[in-house]
Amino acid sequence: MKDSPALISNRSNLFSISDLYKYRELFWMLAWRDFRVRYAQTAIGLVWALIQPALTILVLYVVFGRFAQVDTGSVPHIVYTTCGVMAWTYFAYVMTNSGNSIINAQAMVKKIYFPRLIIPLSKAVVGLIDLFITSLILVILMFLFDVPVSRNIVMLPLFLVLNLMAALGIGIWLSGLTIRFRDFQYIIPFGVQLGLYITPTAYPSEFAISRLPEWASFVYFMNPMAGIVEGFRWSILGTEAPAGLSYVSFAAVLVLFFSSVFFFKSIDGKIADYV
Amino acid sequence: MDISIEVQGISKKYRLGRETSGSLRETLSNLVKRSDADSEKEFWALKDVSFEVKEGDCFGIIGKNGSGKSTLLKVLSKITQPTKGTAKMYGRVSSLLEVGTGFHPELTGRENIFLNGSILGMTKREINQKFDEIVDFSGVERFLDTPVKRYSSGMYVRLAFSVAAHLEPEILIIDEVLAVGDADFQKKCLSKMGDAASSGITVLFVSHNMNAVESLCNKAIVLNSGTLSFSGNQKDAITYYLNEQKRLLASQNLTERTDRQGEGRIKLRDCRTVSKTPGEEAIRCGQPMEFVIDLDIVDPSVRDISVSIAISTSRGHQLCDLWSKSSQQELTPTSESMQVRCTIPQLILNKGEFSYNLCVKSGTIVEDWILFAGTFEVESGPFFSGGQVPDPTQGPLLMQQSWQ
Repeated sequence: MKDSPALISNRSNLFSISDLYKYRELFWMLAWRDFRVRYAQTAIGLVWALIQPALTILVLYVVFGRFAQVDTGSVPHIVYTTCGVMAWTYFAYVMTNSGNSIINAQAMVKKIYFPRLIIPLSKAVVGLIDLFITSLILVILMFLFDVPVSRNIVMLPLFLVLNLMAALGIGIWLSGLTIRFRDFQYIIPFGVQLGLYITPTAYPSEFAISRLPEWASFVYFMNPMAGIVEGFRWSILGTEAPAGLSYVSFAAVLVLFFSSVFFFKSIDGKIADYV
Repeated sequence: MDISIEVQGISKKYRLGRETSGSLRETLSNLVKRSDADSEKEFWALKDVSFEVKEGDCFGIIGKNGSGKSTLLKVLSKITQPTKGTAKMYGRVSSLLEVGTGFHPELTGRENIFLNGSILGMTKREINQKFDEIVDFSGVERFLDTPVKRYSSGMYVRLAFSVAAHLEPEILIIDEVLAVGDADFQKKCLSKMGDAASSGITVLFVSHNMNAVESLCNKAIVLNSGTLSFSGNQKDAITYYLNEQKRLLASQNLTERTDRQGEGRIKLRDCRTVSKTPGEEAIRCGQPMEFVIDLDIVDPSVRDISVSIAISTSRGHQLCDLWSKSSQQELTPTSESMQVRCTIPQLILNKGEFSYNLCVKSGTIVEDWILFAGTFEVESGPFFSGGQVPDPTQGPLLMQQSWQ
């Protein structure tokens, strides 16, 4: 007698954790492909991954640190901002790419089966290049400005995981929504652009909260990155611990991530019909 | 023998207009209008299809475009869910609905072998083991470290097929991937497929190529607008399918046919086949016959007109191509319509049923081209002075011969 058969019905396409595990090699393969392809054709290759965050940091520093004279306490503004940009860049990269991932893989999705969740998930890996480069910038600046590393650094992995979950949670939602409504393709870059300003990357969240009514502060922290950026700075630079409202952000991360997986699960079997 | 695939009452419904990707605005306005009348158009791509495939069978799926073949393969490959019904697959399934799925133009041949292999479900170890074999089979070893965007389309396809050919599934689902590559490589692929079929794995094969289905498969089903209309051995299935096609086409006038191609400045109106033997209506082996073709001249300025007739057996093997230019005779339109006659002084076809395609050209431009334009029956006749014609199963052609 053979193994029990694979059953195909109008429920069978739902992936399970074990199915994802079975396709782990494909996950790494897709991640590696993105890695190879990302800089395959650009003339200065990886340098791009350095120029983009470096310029972002510079502009934010000039606008918020010099023009607006935002007070960042004992930490120099440029170091403060770099730490925020480090969390934000990774988030923005992973969210954008996983958000567009299914639509970009439509040729594949229509022709072969594997758990589709692998596609948006695999985008988290190549974003690590950006995370590495921004953290390199941060280390150099901390050294130059003689900013010590906080003992809270042991908590950094927690915030990295939250950062990853936030990026993937939104990315997975968007990857499913874009195949249904192409409009989201235009919404993503717009959202990234706005997000950089409404997230406290280049200023303390205190700066925003003190100027907002209480309900608006609550809404402000519904942005998952608000709490995460604060957490990054607290664990690396030892700035003030994330405000009580940060827990709104962390709750938002969990809700986004788990709901995205359930949402994706509900449309997985229909993806090939939509694209 | 054990059952390998068990399909029970599979149906697949598509909702036209709605489930296809639309813009947010449309969806919102539909919500507001609540006009479900036009968006609720349903379309059953598959209706209650059931069949069983035994282990080791090479199982063909035949049908016209839009008959549900591809949908069935997609359902069985788990790419899309059925609306109703179940299918049980006993064993590791590999599906090849195209070759080179996931190939990335920027990556080298070597890298794409690994990428494509893992997309097809091979593990890295398996790919490593088979790597040399794959490269060997593809014949592109010299360009292994070149990005595939620099490959010719032939090389690309060869590499892609080679990866696929080295899968070791228990059930293999294939959709017309053989319709690619040059003739030599196609032959290589066919023999590889034949090996697969004879090595005891179960193959599910969709193709328009009746010759391939006939030579590779041992069983087949015919799908017709989503329902299973025939199931049996592959030869009967092909005959059933071709007869069905013929019935459908023969009932139509040439002018009503919409499945035509070409510029349309000249149009085929009618074609008849007649016997040229005095006092004889039937077309017989060895006797003269004539094709009488009526053309409508839509654009009288068209010059250099030629007509061709391609004759095929009832099984779809093309036998010959008759061309008006072979007799050096110029065809010039005289009025809005013209009649062309092609006389065959001595028919070398064996008895049986034949079909033909018609094509009208001006210069090298195809003006009107209809496949399966008509059929004719050849009856036994006095081809050989010495007696009977051979049984048609011995071949469709007759040839004069002398024996010493």
